[in-house]
Amino acid sequence: MATDNANAGGFGEVSRLRGVVFEYLSLGASVAGLVALGVLLVYVTIDAFDLANASPEWLLTYFLTLVVPFLAFCLYSANDPTVTRRALGALGGGLVAVAALFTAIEAFVAQIPRLSWQLAYLFVVATPVTAYLAYVGSRGRVGAVGFGLMGRLVGGAALGLAVGTLFLVFDPLVWFLAYTLGVVPAVALYAYGARRSAPRAVAAAIPVGLVGVVVAVVLRGVVTTYPSDLIIYAWTLAVPIAIAGWRVVADRGSRAAAVAAGGVPLAVAVAGGFLAGGFGVPGPTALIVLVTVGVPTAVYVHRAIDEGDGVVGLALPVLLVGGALVGALVVEAWGVPAPDPWLDAGYVTESPSSTAIEAGLYPAIVGSVIIIALVAVLSFVLGVGTSVFLEEYMPESGVLGSLTRLLQVNIANLAAIPSVVYGLLGLGLFANLLGFGLGTAVTASLTLSLLILPITIISAQEAIRSVPDDLRRGSDAMGATRWQTTKNVVLPEAFPGILTGTILALGRAIGETAPLLMIGAATTVFSAPDSLFSRFSAMPMQIYAWANFPQAEFRYGVVAAGVITLLIILIGMNGTAILLRNRAERGN
Amino acid sequence: MSNTESSDSLITTDVETGSNEQTATTDRTAVAARDLNVFYGDEQAIDDVSMEIPEKRVTALIGPSGCGKSTFLRCINRMNDMIEVCRVEGDVEFGGKNVYDSDVDPVALRRKIGMVFQKPNPFPKSIRDNVAYGLKIQGYDGDVDERVEKSLKGAALWDEVKDQLDSSGLDLSGGQQQRLCIARAIAPDPEVILMDEPTSALDPVAASKIEDLIDDLAEEYTVIIVTHNMQQAARISDRTAVFLTGGRLVEYDDTTKIFEDPEEQRVEDYITGKFG
Repeated sequence: MATDNANAGGFGEVSRLRGVVFEYLSLGASVAGLVALGVLLVYVTIDAFDLANASPEWLLTYFLTLVVPFLAFCLYSANDPTVTRRALGALGGGLVAVAALFTAIEAFVAQIPRLSWQLAYLFVVATPVTAYLAYVGSRGRVGAVGFGLMGRLVGGAALGLAVGTLFLVFDPLVWFLAYTLGVVPAVALYAYGARRSAPRAVAAAIPVGLVGVVVAVVLRGVVTTYPSDLIIYAWTLAVPIAIAGWRVVADRGSRAAAVAAGGVPLAVAVAGGFLAGGFGVPGPTALIVLVTVGVPTAVYVHRAIDEGDGVVGLALPVLLVGGALVGALVVEAWGVPAPDPWLDAGYVTESPSSTAIEAGLYPAIVGSVIIIALVAVLSFVLGVGTSVFLEEYMPESGVLGSLTRLLQVNIANLAAIPSVVYGLLGLGLFANLLGFGLGTAVTASLTLSLLILPITIISAQEAIRSVPDDLRRGSDAMGATRWQTTKNVVLPEAFPGILTGTILALGRAIGETAPLLMIGAATTVFSAPDSLFSRFSAMPMQIYAWANFPQAEFRYGVVAAGVITLLIILIGMNGTAILLRNRAERGN
Repeated sequence: MSNTESSDSLITTDVETGSNEQTATTDRTAVAARDLNVFYGDEQAIDDVSMEIPEKRVTALIGPSGCGKSTFLRCINRMNDMIEVCRVEGDVEFGGKNVYDSDVDPVALRRKIGMVFQKPNPFPKSIRDNVAYGLKIQGYDGDVDERVEKSLKGAALWDEVKDQLDSSGLDLSGGQQQRLCIARAIAPDPEVILMDEPTSALDPVAASKIEDLIDDLAEEYTVIIVTHNMQQAARISDRTAVFLTGGRLVEYDDTTKIFEDPEEQRVEDYITGKFG
């Protein structure tokens, strides 16, 4: 001990004060922002779901029937006594701490509006613990299977709804003809060529497909009788998805299971499509959703059972749905007052209204989804094209090199231009000069694409630049042309990075309001757009309009529900893109 | 000063060419440089080099860093074209044709010449796709799997990877990656394989495997290898060219002659480690 001290003294001491101060200042800065945003989101959630009116009994019931079983599932999957102890400690200790602190603040400082200690506990302790346990649980085999299945159920439903929404605008009849005359022959040729190793058939696939699509567009004006929408969707969407599912399972080597994995969801979807009308649900949408949910789920369930590890995890959806049902029954039987959420089924399926109770976001949701789909395609294609050209094709020196640098600087500057200015450009160029019309979906998509194009280009350039030159030289030395190197080596390697940039840019586009105001988009429309040239509204526009309504129900409840809807769609979209990116990264 | 030196080396080369002719009766020339000068901007990287590289032999290029041996290698498949400031004068003949003629398509040229780099650079694709890359870009319409197997066998990698052809090439060890790159280079069946210090990033065991492999490759291909490792050059090559500072070819002869009885004092100094 004495020698230790002598040694410590012997070397002297180095002051770390400034470093420590800097460390805590940085921490404080990042936490302050997150806390502020967190508090806002908590209040928005409370308003959207009317949780302020939730009785403690109601909260307790659902906590016991829904949250606790889910936590137990995660703990079972993690199968780690330390985690279990820590989670129970946090839940129990948090309960005491939050209750005591909350009561103390209410007693000595001030009343906290629209928040009870139970709600505070829910947001401050229960939600983070649930998220943490979900993360830990997902790393266990059982949890991975369970979350994988949930992902396919939720993701499939979202995908189906998105596809259904797009067909509100894009003519399904053109798609029917193009699919029948273009896609089917092209795929058949390609499959035949690949199987018989006939390169000529493979090469002919794309031209044949293009010719088919052109013929379809021409025929659309000529042919007058078509099968019903249900049959069109069954033939053009359900059948190919079912075949894809059948192929995936068949590749794993079991014929009977493959037929079941493709056939059962197909049958269910077709039946569901025909019966849905009786329940007041649009048949085509029901068919699409059932097939996008059913086939991936069937394929996934087959794989989980085939691998035989963590099959228990497949019970997770049953656990959650069962928990929700039991909770509802108990609440009903007990007769405790339940909250009346603003964000309910009616809100997302109905049109705006002058009364808060009946107000719905449906047209704005459809508008936003269509715009985002178009913006994603446009900005991805243009952004990747421009960045590939700038990075791979433009020389670095000479006159053209200077031109490249000039372009670079200007693109970087474009990213800093206020969005209102882009709105003005859209108004002048797309709405007036090119005549796409004031406030139409096309004008809005083009304007927003221009707005985020600089960000997409810059991030795609970064991604392309980060591909090691070794790989390019390796491909060049094999005798690849510039295009072959770019297509086969550079783009696949840069793809995850390009996708990350596009995700961030799209996140900005979906929330933009100013340019939409400039191009004359309506704040409120009462029916969903039915073509690319019809007037539309977007979610942020509608939220902005409601926020100015005099009635308090609009300003608090309806707006909050809109914000939550916007966030859910945004997170869903980003989540999908992130999943895609991770898959691409793993593919490497 | 530099004039006399360069004329010295020219004389030496002439002497070598004389002795070459005995071997040249059995060996046909695969690649020949004539009065080759290469500049990076104002800097001269290769100074008036003329040499003939025999077919189906291993030719080693040795010399200190910055002596132009890698530049010389990259002149053969015109990879120097990628460097914008690079300027080439003189002829490099491959198959009796000057590769710098205006009617030569460098991309088509590179399809006949394989190249292996210092750092293993497999593509982030499966092992199969890595080897089949050259076939794919050349639109090969035969049995790809058969060629992949043959090339992997040729690169002495088949036994180690035959069960994992669909896993990523990046999952292999450094030495395996380098052999994968060799398999990739020989898959389209080139005539010449250029190797730019192929073992300098590898451990000795992996390096010795590659050395054995190079020996085998010389039965079918002309191998031209740049190396910093004198012992390696002595072990694997049939002919050795010594480049010294300023991009001059100082001596070029049978490897045994270079290592046992070099004509030039500077070469002996370099080989014995007195300078370089």
